Amino acid sequence: MTKFWTDLTEGFTHWMPQLLWACLQTLQLTALTFLVAVPLGLVIVWMRLSPHSPLKWFAVGLIEIARGTPALVILFVVYFGLPSAFPGLSLNSLTAAVVGLGLQGGAILAEIFRAGIEAIDRGQREASLTIGLTPSQAMIDVIAPQAWRIALPPVGNYVVGLLKDTSIASIIAAPELMLRAKDLASSSFMPMQLYVLAALLYFLMSYPLSQFFRLLERRMIPVRRT
Amino acid sequence: MERYFTFLLGGVWVSMQAASGALILATLLGLLLALMLLSRNRLLFFIARAWIELIRGTPALAQLFILYFGLADFGFRLHPLVAAIIGLGINGSAYLAEIFRSGIQAIDHGQTEAGRSLGLSPFWITYDVVLPQAVRIMVPPFVNYGVQLLKDTSLISSIAAPEIMFRARNLVMETYDSMTIYLLVAAIYLSISIPLSQLAAYLQTRSMGASQ
Repeated sequence: MTKFWTDLTEGFTHWMPQLLWACLQTLQLTALTFLVAVPLGLVIVWMRLSPHSPLKWFAVGLIEIARGTPALVILFVVYFGLPSAFPGLSLNSLTAAVVGLGLQGGAILAEIFRAGIEAIDRGQREASLTIGLTPSQAMIDVIAPQAWRIALPPVGNYVVGLLKDTSIASIIAAPELMLRAKDLASSSFMPMQLYVLAALLYFLMSYPLSQFFRLLERRMIPVRRT
Repeated sequence: MERYFTFLLGGVWVSMQAASGALILATLLGLLLALMLLSRNRLLFFIARAWIELIRGTPALAQLFILYFGLADFGFRLHPLVAAIIGLGINGSAYLAEIFRSGIQAIDHGQTEAGRSLGLSPFWITYDVVLPQAVRIMVPPFVNYGVQLLKDTSLISSIAAPEIMFRARNLVMETYDSMTIYLLVAAIYLSISIPLSQLAAYLQTRSMGASQ
């Protein structure tokens, strides 16, 4: 155990700048994925709720497949599968990670958005149509402003989960924290110290993030539901 | 294609072993943590709370790497499958503890009071009054956790446990037929996870119907 600490203190100053830089890469990967997932989720939920059944069933299929498959498998299909099936369509590991995780995130967010929209009383929509709003005005001006408050807590959970899931992208060698820890662990032969440090750094990112969303919920949702 | 399929099916067995082992460990640890969260002892509560936040704040992959590569460096060389079961089990315990706790706390306090005024002992109040109602609330999220766990077993391929994904990666190295193989892997996972999550949705609507 003392060896653990002496090795850790010796390596610490050397590792830390690299690991902190990798934390930024992890945050970047998380942010990029979120930016892909939100518009995708909106499109998918729009298809899911549309009255045209081909669109609807396409969305249902997409959601079920993207949510029922492990993120790792999706990343492997995008990163290794696509270039082998369609030569020339090779993505670099960061892009593949953003596309793969973003696709799955779109499906997850679509279900969150749908739950939020469907939680709004039907009477709201009926009243909007009665006073002459178009269906899209009813959605944008009446339903969405109420629905997003219901969707906020699960969206927060999704983002915190995403931050941790980006560690999976290390398996396709996308630049982020886990990959950096793995590299340093194999060059220094100190896996315990590096993986514990990496876990700690993930915690230092994800815990404040989840507290931030908790605070945001409290601010944005004045009426507490019981 | 058929050769791929039979080879990958061998991995399904390993995935199932890892998932069921982890599920049992996570349930036992999760129950213990839930009891600690509900106890009046501040220290037990604090330990459980800190443990849950720490586990939920770190990726499962990092936990698996600490157990497998980290411990090996200190002379505890775990079998990959054992490391997988312990790692995913510990990871799951934090999620299940919250499911168990919220299930128990969702039961109206009046139920406990009514039991007490009928002269039941605390044990029988828990066993006969609170738990049967709480379990009904817990079952759908528990099944959902099972689906999540099944998908997470794909991570243990990176600590060399020979499950579906690990076999798929070896197969790709041999044949270079990555698209077919990984899509086949996706199909195998889907054929297990979709029926399970449908079951969870069905149980959810049924338990909501019962409570109204």
